[in-house]
Amino acid sequence: MITFGKGNLRIPKWSKRVFMVAGGCTPFRKYYPEYKLEELVMMAYKMMLEDNNLKLSPLEIKDSIQFAVYGEFADHFQDQLLCESKIHDYLGLDPLYNVGIKTGGATGGSAVLMGAQAIASGYANCCLVAGWERMDEVDTRTGNFYISTAACKDFETRMGRIYSSYYAPMANRFAWAYDLNDQVRAKIAIKNRHYATMNPNAQQPGDHTEEEVLSSRMSAYPLRFLECCAMTAGSASVLLCDEEMAYKLSDHPVEVFIAGGSHTLRVADRRPMDIPLLPNEKPGMYDAFLKKNPRWPGFESFLAARFAAYLTYRMAGIKEPVEELDLVELHDAFTISDVQTYGDIGLRPYGQEIDYIESGDAYYGGKCPANLSGGLLGTMHAVGATGIWQAAECLWQLQGRYDYFHGDPKWWKRAGKKKPKNWTSLQVKDPKQALWVSHAGVGSHVTVGILRKAW
Amino acid sequence: MAENYEKAIKTKYIGKPLTLHDEKPAWVVDSPRAMSHIHTYGLLTPFFQGLTQGKLMATKCVNPKCPHPSVWLPPRADCPDCYERMKWVKVPSQGTIYTFTLVDYAGIGVEMKTPYWQIDVAIKGVDTIFKGYLEYGKPEIGMKVKAKFRTENPTHTILDVCWVPA
Ligand SMILES: [Zn+2]
Repeated sequence: MITFGKGNLRIPKWSKRVFMVAGGCTPFRKYYPEYKLEELVMMAYKMMLEDNNLKLSPLEIKDSIQFAVYGEFADHFQDQLLCESKIHDYLGLDPLYNVGIKTGGATGGSAVLMGAQAIASGYANCCLVAGWERMDEVDTRTGNFYISTAACKDFETRMGRIYSSYYAPMANRFAWAYDLNDQVRAKIAIKNRHYATMNPNAQQPGDHTEEEVLSSRMSAYPLRFLECCAMTAGSASVLLCDEEMAYKLSDHPVEVFIAGGSHTLRVADRRPMDIPLLPNEKPGMYDAFLKKNPRWPGFESFLAARFAAYLTYRMAGIKEPVEELDLVELHDAFTISDVQTYGDIGLRPYGQEIDYIESGDAYYGGKCPANLSGGLLGTMHAVGATGIWQAAECLWQLQGRYDYFHGDPKWWKRAGKKKPKNWTSLQVKDPKQALWVSHAGVGSHVTVGILRKAW
Repeated sequence: MAENYEKAIKTKYIGKPLTLHDEKPAWVVDSPRAMSHIHTYGLLTPFFQGLTQGKLMATKCVNPKCPHPSVWLPPRADCPDCYERMKWVKVPSQGTIYTFTLVDYAGIGVEMKTPYWQIDVAIKGVDTIFKGYLEYGKPEIGMKVKAKFRTENPTHTILDVCWVPA
């Protein structure tokens, strides 16, 4: 829709408060022949149960769960329908009910949203949210084609058969409209891949120069290989609880707010409309902007992300995102999608997205650092797991446990790596609130979640 | 004659053994998949037929009560704003490039030789932007292009239309 009815803009309100207490993940890799999929999910699930300072034993927590939500992007990759059933059985959770969630790249965020709804409604007071993808059983170009069937198969898939070719036109339009140059996009790739060097689970960590990024192989002009996330095999999970169960399980729970937005799969079909304003934006502030760029959201921005932020900020009572959020985890599947999102979620007003990077705010030590986990560019995009893993990384930051989960040599050993000598902590100092974006398609589904320290 | 279910049966393996793709650290087997689907263009059939006849057919909402009557290309049969069935209209075969990319590394099965220019075209009177590819030339935003149709040997896909500099 391009205009809203009153009912469309109702702000979601949980019937019961929702909390997150624990997270887990596997190391992320291009190729994982050592383990079957269910074995990878067990690895993430056990880490969640065993390594989060929970006050009940893993089996006591197992005895407390009533419901599970599973995220998986594509049956094509798993080549197993009802994969959820195999995983659920493998985790020993039958006959508790479980559902599978599929919303493309936003699958993980949507799975957390569905789990939160189960808690908020009272259906469950302890809910597992787990996700996975194993993208390593087809060759990369077949994988690219599978993913491109998440563009419109009648009108778009044939035009590139690779998702970078649907983002690249956005990059060129964004560059034309807002003077984005290659160097700024390269900075994002360099930043996130560098942060990934501190993450034992990262698939493509690396310290790159601008020249390396901008001379890496072209995927779809102007997006180069080092500006694109990789295909990953791996899993992640988080545990959601109601208030009573959260404090029974943890001395350091965080409160959860999350909502979503959607937009047509085909960017082509996105008709111009008014910009729904965030709490920190004033009516009329975009008048001049819209004169210059009359087609909002066009190819430059994501209505789905804007709409999700519109709801979640109001749900969580956030007024000034950059001031109130201590860190964010964004869906940097491509450098350009990262930049586009800065405006959508109000890290900067529309048209000034680039300043979020140029000002230093986006860096560790800045006002609101982004993707200290290494993001999708540096660490992983095992699609069904991604939005869940991002939430876990935010949780660990809020709990002050970045150093444990990234610096303890046992995780480097688990990943089959040696902890680098120059490892440095990316723990944000005393953070209170974190945000993560889970994003699908060329902005077809987006969730914006906020975690708030609750102790 | 006895029905099959009344017989004792000896079973013979008629499949094709999987080859070992990798043996260490775990057995990894090849798992081939070769299959074909059919796919209907449904109510959008006139659009794909139109390409083979050298026309760009869009759908238009003509409901006077529609809150946002629009012209859609890609077409869709039903208006998402008022839920009425829309009307087919022929739209101009000229437009301007709204944005573009060079597809250099494409997924498997790509039907154009890479690299090629993929373009998004704004067409006067159409409310949406239409994705296609440029047959020759080098695109820039705002450049004028005209549609070229594959009326002979059509592919029966969206690739029956492309664009050339106007
Ligand atoms: Zn209508």
